[in-house]
Amino acid sequence: MDLSRLEEILDSKGSETFAIMEVLQDVQEAYRYISEEAIVRISERLDVPVIEVFRLANFYKAFSLTPRGRHLITVCAGTACHVQGAPRLLDTVLALLNTKPGETTADGAFTVETVNCLGACALAPVVVIDGKYYDHMTPGKVRALLEDIRFEDELAEDEDEEEVEAEANA
Amino acid sequence: MPEPITIFVDDIAIETTEGANVLDAALRAGICIPNLCYLPEVTPTGACRVCIVEVERHGRTKMTAACTLEAREGMIVRAHSEPVLRARRNIVELLLAEAPESPVLQALAERLSVTDVRYSRRDRDCILCGRCVAACAEVAKQGSLGMIGRGANRHKGLPFYKEEYCTQCNECHDRCPLELSPSGRRGDHCGVCGSELSMNDAIPDICEDCVLS
Amino acid sequence: MPELDSIASLEARREEVAFTLARYRTVVTMCGGTACQACGCQPVARAMTREVMAQGLEETVYVRTTGCHGFCEQGPLVIIDPGGIVYVHVTPEDVPEIVAQTIRKGKVIERLSYTDPVSDKTVQAEDEIPFYTRQKRLLLGENRHIAPRDIDDYIARGGYSALAKALDSMTPEAVVEEIERSGLQGRGGGGYPTGKKWRQCRNASGDARYVICNADEGDPGDYMDRSLLEGNPHSIIEGMIIGAFAVGARHGYIYVRKEYPLAVVNAGVAIRQAQALRLLGEDILGTGFDFDIQVVRGGGAFVCGESTALMASLEGKVGEPRPKDIHTVERGYLGQPTVLNNVETWANVPSIIRHGADWFASQGTERSKGTKIFALTGQVKNTGLIEVEMGTTLREIIYDIGGGPKNGREIKAVQTGGPSGGCLPTSQFDLPVDFDALYEAGSMMGSGGMVVMDDSSCMVDVAKYFLAFLQDESCGKCTPCRLGVGRLLEIVTDISEGRGSLDQLDLLEDLSWTISVASLCALGKTAPNPVLSTLKYFRDEYLDHIENKRCAAGVCRALIRLVIDSTLCDRCGKCIANCPHKAITGSRDTSYAIDDELCTRCRICADACEQHAILVR
Repeated sequence: MDLSRLEEILDSKGSETFAIMEVLQDVQEAYRYISEEAIVRISERLDVPVIEVFRLANFYKAFSLTPRGRHLITVCAGTACHVQGAPRLLDTVLALLNTKPGETTADGAFTVETVNCLGACALAPVVVIDGKYYDHMTPGKVRALLEDIRFEDELAEDEDEEEVEAEANA
Repeated sequence: MPEPITIFVDDIAIETTEGANVLDAALRAGICIPNLCYLPEVTPTGACRVCIVEVERHGRTKMTAACTLEAREGMIVRAHSEPVLRARRNIVELLLAEAPESPVLQALAERLSVTDVRYSRRDRDCILCGRCVAACAEVAKQGSLGMIGRGANRHKGLPFYKEEYCTQCNECHDRCPLELSPSGRRGDHCGVCGSELSMNDAIPDICEDCVLS
Repeated sequence: MPELDSIASLEARREEVAFTLARYRTVVTMCGGTACQACGCQPVARAMTREVMAQGLEETVYVRTTGCHGFCEQGPLVIIDPGGIVYVHVTPEDVPEIVAQTIRKGKVIERLSYTDPVSDKTVQAEDEIPFYTRQKRLLLGENRHIAPRDIDDYIARGGYSALAKALDSMTPEAVVEEIERSGLQGRGGGGYPTGKKWRQCRNASGDARYVICNADEGDPGDYMDRSLLEGNPHSIIEGMIIGAFAVGARHGYIYVRKEYPLAVVNAGVAIRQAQALRLLGEDILGTGFDFDIQVVRGGGAFVCGESTALMASLEGKVGEPRPKDIHTVERGYLGQPTVLNNVETWANVPSIIRHGADWFASQGTERSKGTKIFALTGQVKNTGLIEVEMGTTLREIIYDIGGGPKNGREIKAVQTGGPSGGCLPTSQFDLPVDFDALYEAGSMMGSGGMVVMDDSSCMVDVAKYFLAFLQDESCGKCTPCRLGVGRLLEIVTDISEGRGSLDQLDLLEDLSWTISVASLCALGKTAPNPVLSTLKYFRDEYLDHIENKRCAAGVCRALIRLVIDSTLCDRCGKCIANCPHKAITGSRDTSYAIDDELCTRCRICADACEQHAILVR
C-alpha cells in the first residue's frame, strides 16, 4: 500500500488538539478506509497510543476500518424518512446487493450505509448515491438507479477491455 | 493545599478536603457506598453507576455517581435514600442479568436485596466496567487495552485485537469483577453494605465499624 | 479587499455595498440549500445566469443563490424582486420564459406559481403564501437576502453592526447583561438561559476561555442549524465574536457534522472572508480585540452533541461524555471555562445587541422569549423549515402552517424534540411552543424537530425506532444507558412482535425512571422520553399489541400478513418482479399468492401494485 499520501497528510497537520481527527478524516477520504498501517503510523507521528487511534477509528461513523466500495449508497434513516418508508428502501437495496448495512459487496462495488439524518427531511425518503441526493425515493426508483450504475460499470469495464485489446493488437 | 471542609453523607459529618472524591471520603469515614468500577488507585470514570447518590445543590436534588463527585463545603449527600436504593438495585439487576454466575455481582445483589431479575440472562464474560482498561493504562502504564466501539457494540479489546500489544502483566485480570471472588470474610460483614464486596484493597477493613449498621 | 480598521470603515463599506446593489433593477433569488440542490437547483441557477447574460441583462438583473428558505418541498424555488413573485419546482427549461416574461415584462407565469394545497388557490407573491404568512421569520427570513459566500450581502443587511455597537459602546459586562435581560435560552434543547451561562463563564477562573458553536445537529428530523450555517454563516460568526468579547475568549470553534458538507464549506469561506476584512483575527475593527474561529468537522457521532462529549472530540478524543457535576462554563475545553451554544442561539445574538434586550423580550411567552425554528416534517401537506414566535400552539403549526394531514388521513401525534423528546397526541395540540410547557407535557423543545404522524404510524414502532437509534448512538460507557436502553428496546421489540405481557409495561416505567435519574449524561437521562410519552398518551396501542396481538396501523411486521385480493388482482406481474424476497408466486393463468414464510412484510409489492390488490391483514 502506498503510504506517501498518508505522510503528506501527517506533514501538513496542524498543532491543534483536534489535529488527529482532521488527519483521520483526510486519511479516510484519501484511502476510503483507515488501515492498520495508517493507524500505527498516525500513532507514532502524533505520539498517541495505538489503542487510542484505534478507538477513534472505531467510534466515529465517518471512519471505516475496511475499504469502502467504489459506490457508496447511503439510505437516510432519519425520523421523517423512517415514517415515509425508509426501512423498505433499505430492504430493497440490501436484498438487491445481497449485503448488510455498513458492509461492502464481495465484488467491492457497493457499500451500503445508513445515516441518522441528512437534513433533507422535506424530501423524504432520501437516498444518497456517490454524493448525489435522490428525493422521494421508492423501492422501484432505487432498483432502477442501482441497475443504471451496474450497467454503466459494465460499459466502463467493456471499454477498458477493448482498450486493452486494442493496445495488444497494436 | 486544598482547603479542609465538611460534607454530610447520610447526615454524618465528614471532614475532608475541597475537591476530594466523595466516594473515597465516605468509605474512609466508614460509610459504605456500594460500588463496582471504582479503583482507588486510578482516575474514576463513573461508568457503572452503582455508587449513585443524591446530592443537594442550590436547593435541587440530583443523582450522580459518588466516585466522580468532587466534595464542596457543606455538600449534602444521601447514599441510602429510597430513590437511591431503588436506582442502585435496578442498576445491579441490569448488571446481574449480564453475568448471573459472577460471585461478585451475586454478592452485590444480595447486599442490595435484589432477588428477582426481570430480564433474560445473557452470560457475558464482560460487563464493561472498565477496571481492566484503567489498570492497563494507569497501574501497568501500558495503555494497551481500550473500550472499542460504541453503544451496544462497545467491547474491550487490544489494538486490532492482536495479543502482541499485551505484556501479560495481569494487572487487568487481578481487578476484573467477573474473575474475582468476594475477598472478605463471610459472616464478618456489616448489615447494610458488607465489606467483602467493596473490593477496595487500598482501604482495608472499611466496614468493620460501619456506622450505618 | 481593504481591511476594515475602524468602525467608520465598516459603515463606509456598508454604504458602498448598498450603492452597488441599488444599481440593479431586478433581483432574482434562487434557493441553493442542501434540499434544493437535491432537487436540482444548480442547473436552474446556471441556466438563469446564462440566460440573463444572453439577453444582455447582467447590468440590471442580479442573480443571487441563497441558502435555504425553508420551503424545501417546493424547490427549486425562484423569487423575483421587486414584487416577490415566486415560482416553484422550476426546471432549467422554464428559465428563458421567466426571463422573457417576468423579468422583462413583469408578467406572472401562472403555471409556475404555487398552488396552496389547502385552498387550492394559486399564489403569486411570496409573502402571500400561507406557509410563510403564519410565521415570524426573524432568522430564517434573512437567508433569502444573502448569498452565503458573499460577506457584502450580509453587511448590506446590517451585518456586523451589532459587533460594532458592542465593541464601540458597550463593556463586556454590559453585553452579558443585555443577553441576560433578553431572556434568550439555549436553542439546542435544554433551554438554559444564555446570559446566565455567559456570566458563569466570565466569572470562572481559568488561564484561557473558549467559545464553541455546536453545529453537530444529530437529531434525526432536524436541519435548522444546517440551514442557518449554510445560509447565513456570518450571523453565527458575528454572534460568536460578540460572545467572545463578553466572556473574554480569544479562540472559538465551530464543530459541524461532516454529513453537512455544504455547511462545512460555507462556514469556512465565511471565516476567511471575515479574516480578510479584519472582522476576525487580531485587532478586530481597530478596537484592539483579538479573536479567531476555526471550523472542526465532527466524526459522525450523535453523542457529540452533548457538551462534554463534543469537547472531548475537540480535544482529539473519543466522544465520551464526562460527569457534569462541574459545568463546562467552569471546566470545559482543555479544562478551561467554555461557552458552548448551538447555531440558532448564536444566530440570535446579533439582533439582540442590535435591537436591544427589550425588543427581543417583547416577543414570545412569559417564560420563553423570541422565536424558534422547527423542522416540520412527516405526514402534513407543507413540510419544511418554519420559524414561529414562542407561544404559537402546536395546532397552529400543524394545521395552519403545515396545512393539516395529507392523503385524507387523520393526524394522531406530533413528535417533538427528537430522540430526547416525546410524542404528543392531538389532545395536547393547544400547547404553546414554550420550553416549560413542552417539558411539562412529557416532551421537550429539543433543537426543534417536529415530525407529524398520522394513523399510518404505529406508536410502539416509533418508540422502537428511537430506542434502536439511541442504543446505536449511546457511547456505551455507563450501565443505565448502555444496558438499560438495550433492555427497553428488547421489551418494546417483544411487544411489537406479539410476545409482550402486561407486566412489561410496569417494567418499562421502572427501568425508564432508573435510566433517567442514573445515567451519566443528558443523552441517557432523556433516552426514555419516547417510551414514557408514548406509554402515557398511547397506552391503548401498547395494550392492543399485547392483548390482541394487533397493530392497528399495520406497521409492526410480526403482527401483519400481506394477502392478495384476487378480485382486484389483474396478474400484471409487477409484484413478482419487485418482491426482493421471491415470496410471490403465480402466473397469468393461475391466481397469485404470497408465501408467508418467505414474505418479510416489507410491502414493496403493495407499493408496486397499481390495482391496490395487496392488502394488509
